[in-house]
Amino acid sequence: MGVRVTNGRALLAAVMGLGVAVSAQAGEYPDIGPLPALKVDAAKAELGKRLFFDKRLSGDAGIACSTCHAPENGFGSKEALSPGYPGNGNFRNAPSVINTAYKKVWLHDGRIGTDLNDVTREMITEDYIMNMDMRIMQERLKQDPVYVEMFKAAGKNEPSNGGARSMIPEYLKSLTSRNAPFDSGKLSASAKSGMALFKDKAGCIQCHNGPLLSDQKPHNTGVPENLDVFLDPMNHQAFVAFTMFQGIPNYMALKRDPGYLNITLDPKDMGKFITPSLRELKYTAPYMHNGTLNTLAEVVEFYNQGGGKDRNKSPLLKPLQLSKAEKKDLVAFLEALSGDQLTSDQYVWKGEYPAEYPAIDNWTQVRN
Amino acid sequence: MRKMKFAPTLVAAAVSTVLLAGCNAQASKQEAATMAPVGKAMLAKSEQAAFAPLAPLGPPPQAADNLTTPDKAELGKLLFFDPRVGGDASTGCSTCHEPEQGWAWAEDFSRGYPGTVHWRNSQTIINSAYYPRLFWAGSASSLEKQAKSAATGGVAGNGESDIMEARLALIPEYRKRFKDVFGDEWPLIENVWRAIAAYETTLVQRDTPLDKYLQGDKAALSAEQVRGKALFEGKAGCIQCHNGAMASDMDYHNIGVPANKRWEEDGLAQITFRYEQYAKGQTEEGYRTAKSDWGFYYRSKNKWDKGKFRTPSLRYTAHTAPYMHNGILYTLEDVVEFYNRGGFDEEGRTTQFAENKSKLIKPLGLTDQEKADLVAFLESFSGDPITTEKPALPEYAPLFTRAELEAAQEAK
Repeated sequence: MGVRVTNGRALLAAVMGLGVAVSAQAGEYPDIGPLPALKVDAAKAELGKRLFFDKRLSGDAGIACSTCHAPENGFGSKEALSPGYPGNGNFRNAPSVINTAYKKVWLHDGRIGTDLNDVTREMITEDYIMNMDMRIMQERLKQDPVYVEMFKAAGKNEPSNGGARSMIPEYLKSLTSRNAPFDSGKLSASAKSGMALFKDKAGCIQCHNGPLLSDQKPHNTGVPENLDVFLDPMNHQAFVAFTMFQGIPNYMALKRDPGYLNITLDPKDMGKFITPSLRELKYTAPYMHNGTLNTLAEVVEFYNQGGGKDRNKSPLLKPLQLSKAEKKDLVAFLEALSGDQLTSDQYVWKGEYPAEYPAIDNWTQVRN
Repeated sequence: MRKMKFAPTLVAAAVSTVLLAGCNAQASKQEAATMAPVGKAMLAKSEQAAFAPLAPLGPPPQAADNLTTPDKAELGKLLFFDPRVGGDASTGCSTCHEPEQGWAWAEDFSRGYPGTVHWRNSQTIINSAYYPRLFWAGSASSLEKQAKSAATGGVAGNGESDIMEARLALIPEYRKRFKDVFGDEWPLIENVWRAIAAYETTLVQRDTPLDKYLQGDKAALSAEQVRGKALFEGKAGCIQCHNGAMASDMDYHNIGVPANKRWEEDGLAQITFRYEQYAKGQTEEGYRTAKSDWGFYYRSKNKWDKGKFRTPSLRYTAHTAPYMHNGILYTLEDVVEFYNRGGFDEEGRTTQFAENKSKLIKPLGLTDQEKADLVAFLESFSGDPITTEKPALPEYAPLFTRAELEAAQEAK
């Protein structure tokens, strides 16, 4: 928790020198459990779905939201570092957008805390992500008769960029965990043991709590840097553009991802990242903000060793001394947090997009 | 020429006069004197002799805050040809200002950023240094500002400053050159525009047949061209707007160019058309109803400026077809026919803003021979094509070594 220790347990543990054998007081944290159902407007979500998979929403029409948030990868990317816009790379892992509608804070550094409408705008317009001038995007949408119809069906007069920004979030509300064993109560014996460890000996629940299994707060767990961010100029240029734009001091000299420092510019927030949800992990490897851990077993081992090396590292992280069996149980529990793959038509736009924009008939006579 | 807006041209003309040998300057003056009566015969009284005569092109003006040096121009050349100065690293200045296509783009509309098409004709870079304002409606007041607008515009380069600056920082050759030329530790995006502008001041053509003729080489123009010149300055009245050393009054006129019909037929062009209305700050009603390029109106917001565009130079036009702000005329013959009809295309179409159409534009009654003479004269505004070897572009390199990065990890 770093900044906000919400209870005296860490302190107590430190005093008693019992970093490992922290007694479970799960009740001190928002309990883990199923997510509440969301009400979704079907027409708007359907429209948002078509937009999400449409490459014409990026500047050069080369990538769609789904390029980096791919259904077959749990709406994340299988690459350690997100592919980014053509012409550059990226410097962080593309997180899953499944269950993103439940979040209160978005992006690995937590730089958006308003709503998904703003996240949508950021992703579409940011130069190293989709580099779209939304005024052009609006006119592209108006040029596609299918969108003209779908916006009408969704209760809008005509396609607009404001409309697009509200339709995509509506679609994202439909991307939620389905039939996860954890939610349906069908945990294996091993997963059950893992859950107990999660809440108790392993202490995961200190940060991974509530129905999302995330406190949505920033922590430094000492995740090693992904050196490809800096060794590959394609990635590094995205990193430089980002840190320059965000006003992070001395950005050309940075050899690490500043994380939450971006928000506060406080050195003690260097290297903190927002706790990710643990749902749908089965499909979203690799892990961590920079994709440096390839498997859940590696993640568990990382925490078993007390996280990585960083002077800002959270005091909540201590070596856990988990047995082999315990580690296995923990992985079983983590896997039980994943539901059905969301790859059916219900979640994925599988229709064709027109190769060209049809001309508007009688153009000189109709209103634009 | 109603407004004294052509100061740089006059300066250039004056400079060239000073630089010329005395007899040439004399010849030039005599020429102007000789031509004036011809003009008088054709032009309304209020328009008589109110314009600068055609003149040899002097050296390009230099921006006081961005003097051209060889190193800066050389850096500018690299940047001009470098597609990393753009959104997805696939479009640079030279993408739409292709040396092989007259340092312009040989289609009606400029090609635009991938996934788009532009909505106006790409203008040549050659002699752009002499324009006091750039773009068809004069929206940029310097070469530097033009370069920035083009590189960042949504249907042009679509680059954002931070990613472009970041790219240059990771190219060692650029780091060195920017430091040498501008003195900063890292390449700065504003200096990119300065360097490109400096390069553009080297892309000039001052030795056309017309320049030579105006400097006293009477053999530089054919008899046909000399007749065309007389028409240009007389019966055809071209010189009313196409005057001075650049053959442009640098003012804005509606000459009757009709809308490009591509907007009626091409979905991609329709997208850009509406985007431009949006981006240029149209009113809601203007956005809904516009069906042609309102030109200078977007800057002045004065209804009398609808359909006005800056008089383009006639220099280098032998290499820059098609013509007009929207590229609807493909040959110089077509251009002459257009004016001969009084500002109508071959289908009889003209500007949607007839009320703004210049009173200077009226049917000319040129004979076939006269039209041919005029075209021949227009060709004398161009010398040989200017070519250049496209530079090998410097490559990216990692800024840090693995050892440096690992040491930083250890220190975390």
